[in-house]
Amino acid sequence: MVPEQDVLTVSSIWARLEQYAQQHRHEHLADMFEADKERFQHFSQSDCGLLVDYSKQRLNTDILSLLVQLADERHLGHWIECLFSGQRVNCTEQRSAMHWRLREPSTTGASPEVHDQLDAMGAMVDRILTGQWRGSQGDVITDVVNVGVGGSELGPLMAAAALHSSMPATGKRPRLHFASSMDGSQISQILHDLDPRTTLVLVSSKSFTTIDTLHNANTARAWLARAFGGESEAMMRCHFIGISSNAARMTDWGIQPQNQLMFWEWTGGRYSLWSAIGMPIALTVGMDGFRDMLAGAHAMDEHFRSRRWAENIPVLLGLVDVWNINFLNITARAVLPYDGRLKHLPAYLEQLEMESNGKSVSRAGKPLEYNTCPVIWGEVGPNAQHAFFQLLHQGTLPVACEFLMTARRYTEQMHSASAKELEGQHRLSNANCLAQSRLLALGERALDPKVALPPYKRYRGNQPSTTLVLDELSPRTLGALLAMYEHKVFVQAVIWGINPFDQWGVEMGKLIATDMLDVLADPDSASGLDASSMALARHIVGSSL
Amino acid sequence: MQISVYGDTLCAQVTATALAQTGHDVYWYVTDMGAWNALEQGAAIYKEPGLRFLLEEQRRSGRLRYRLYSESKRLNDSRVVFLAVQPGKVSLLESIVAHHAAMPAFELAVTQTVCAVGTSERLRDGLVDSGSRAELAVMPDMTQAGRAYDAFTRPDCILIGHENEEARVLLCEIMRPYVRTRDTFRHMSLREAEFARLASSGILATRISFMNEMAQLAERVDVDISVIREALAADSRIGSAYLYPGCGFGGPGLSGDVMSLVDTLQGYDAHAGLLEQVLAINERQKEVLFRKFWQYYGGNVVGKRVVIWGAAFKPGTHRVENSPALKVIEALWAQGVQVAVHDPLALPELSRWADGRGDLELYKDQYMAAADADALMLFTEWKQYWSPEWARLRGELREPLILDGRNIYDPVFVRSQGFQYKGVGRI
Repeated sequence: MVPEQDVLTVSSIWARLEQYAQQHRHEHLADMFEADKERFQHFSQSDCGLLVDYSKQRLNTDILSLLVQLADERHLGHWIECLFSGQRVNCTEQRSAMHWRLREPSTTGASPEVHDQLDAMGAMVDRILTGQWRGSQGDVITDVVNVGVGGSELGPLMAAAALHSSMPATGKRPRLHFASSMDGSQISQILHDLDPRTTLVLVSSKSFTTIDTLHNANTARAWLARAFGGESEAMMRCHFIGISSNAARMTDWGIQPQNQLMFWEWTGGRYSLWSAIGMPIALTVGMDGFRDMLAGAHAMDEHFRSRRWAENIPVLLGLVDVWNINFLNITARAVLPYDGRLKHLPAYLEQLEMESNGKSVSRAGKPLEYNTCPVIWGEVGPNAQHAFFQLLHQGTLPVACEFLMTARRYTEQMHSASAKELEGQHRLSNANCLAQSRLLALGERALDPKVALPPYKRYRGNQPSTTLVLDELSPRTLGALLAMYEHKVFVQAVIWGINPFDQWGVEMGKLIATDMLDVLADPDSASGLDASSMALARHIVGSSL
Repeated sequence: MQISVYGDTLCAQVTATALAQTGHDVYWYVTDMGAWNALEQGAAIYKEPGLRFLLEEQRRSGRLRYRLYSESKRLNDSRVVFLAVQPGKVSLLESIVAHHAAMPAFELAVTQTVCAVGTSERLRDGLVDSGSRAELAVMPDMTQAGRAYDAFTRPDCILIGHENEEARVLLCEIMRPYVRTRDTFRHMSLREAEFARLASSGILATRISFMNEMAQLAERVDVDISVIREALAADSRIGSAYLYPGCGFGGPGLSGDVMSLVDTLQGYDAHAGLLEQVLAINERQKEVLFRKFWQYYGGNVVGKRVVIWGAAFKPGTHRVENSPALKVIEALWAQGVQVAVHDPLALPELSRWADGRGDLELYKDQYMAAADADALMLFTEWKQYWSPEWARLRGELREPLILDGRNIYDPVFVRSQGFQYKGVGRI
């Protein structure tokens, strides 16, 4: 049974946490580090190739133990059981959320349908990597275009970039391209540069009704048909693979049965990179690498299910976020990877966290009286230093930061020639990461106290941060990292009493866009439109005449 | 004169045989156990017209002795040493030269092995450093598989790289029997001889890839490339050699040399733009028959059966390295197509290459191989394929589809015999 959620703010623990927050609101991180020399030992954890240091967060052992009690009070253990036993934790859609099933090892004998689909994808991946997937004219496929949006793009795009230095064991990677934007700006450029004879298109959509995706796919289809002097069965068979939970719609669109890869209703779009949606990742690292990523995520699943809260990385991170948002009133979080390969991680997390927890009604349908998901944004750390770090250091808003770095890098064979210089760059980047988190936390107390600073040069510090260190960026550690974020989101949702697995807020916009198409076709026929929308529609139509 | 020849290459086999034949006392050192065993059993390493008989004759005469090379074993102290090991085996060359440098009779090392430009200079520097009085010359391997013996004994041109008069005199003396009708020596520096050898391969390969690109265009614009080729060949500025389009070049020689030339260019940070394209076009061209087969069946080829005539990279040799047939066989396997092959010489090599990776039926009879096939692919223009018994072939094939990778048939005639015909660049 999925437990009922009561109202969070009547909790006595909640009240005591608020008290603590009042008492400690001016306490400075510099003082906390002075007071407790073992602060790192008290506030860090490591497992699954990750080290998580949250000692630069503005909390103490008392606060942490209250947060842990809060997790118990919110029945977190029971909720985790519900998640992992396939209960319908997505209450508004009456679905379970079993992304964890996608990474259960085949040796357990569980989820044979999952492994059937992985094997089917593996066969296609091997065929492409060995140069034996052929276009309709018999050419080797050299370019793969992923047509998908949201979860069908952000995860694969992020992970394929992150794992670029993990080469497949055998074969040659195709070049990957991603087309998502509705207006066709990506697909038009991609198709302009590619040769239809050597191009394979992956059409990824859970429902296979996403109009952004279907319009891009239709454009690609027309492009191929023009090149081959008309559409043929061979063209569809050789140039399109479909990935969806809806086989019938794939078939209707023209995806050949043997080219259909399935996933399931119980996998949310933003949790789907572990399924066949992750095919671009498998094309980057090879199928063995993809399975390593699943194994890393599974290790994190086991960690999440088995560790007590005080040692449980996703739980601790979730609780720290709750402390920052609900008690310290820090409503923004910056994600700052100091490894350029993680450049798409901020965008991925924006979706994972904000689409999951950007909610304001409880599971029972009551409006919430407290904040939920913060605003999340980010950028590759060293580049962000030249962009918005000014605000972090000297702005008026409190922002929680999340630093990510890799301990080992450029050890791969492919870098042998220039490894020395690149290792130097890696060390420089890590040094910057450590320097920034230190300065944000300690402020000018990290600097020489003898030097007096004018007001515009002062650093007040006390901006909290968490630092995540990956032993190295490999399929396995990336899998663990992403599963960690997924579970952290779930922990927060449990504390807040919300459903993280639906996204009703994005449905209505799609619907009224259909009406707006009619308005753009004939503005004079529109009625009941607000003055702004009406004027804009008229302006656009007028300009395109 | 006592001469040692090193290597398992065709060049080594021809050099050892020809030198023994003209009266020298030759020790032939092979480095590979398999090659050694073959020689011991009276076989040749390379099956070349006439060569096996000559080899056996020299061995019986006592002027040619086989030795198995090993770094630890004492080598025969020969006056001249010919180095014809596999291309690029620089460390092997170094160790052989170092070994001889310590022996009193050693006067001249001749490198035939094709290596990156500059290798011979480094070998010579090694000799100087060791205090040996021996000199080094380059006589690049110009062996043409299929007519190796003829090319060695009646050369159009012998490139000789040397930097010393004594070396020149000694090497020309050894080669004297083969230049009786005309002096075909071209003298140059060590480095120039190496470069000239690679550059000549580069030109030949470029001509072939150029013609293959023209063939592809010819199909599009509906003209016959054979007509175009004849028109080009009639122009004395162009000439007729290496103008035949087809399913790509292979073999250890031409493709290996072009790759080596590309490596040399890259090693000097000179961009190998043209040659990289030459190789890329060639790799793509090797699959031209596969693409025609695929298009014919609209990509529905699972369970089909293909007969391949000729797997050797050219007629007259048993070698299959880089042969277009290999690439196509791998593609056919990957698509679930059964493959039957006939080749008069290359089947054992092909079988070794396949190593059980896929279904491969080998036939000694070219018609039996064709039984129930959905297409015939011709890769090597062995003479016995030029005029097959059409009616019999028609009866064997399930689908009368002929894919001619060497344009050896007359399209009009073949079609009149009831076949579908597709050549390379032909209408």
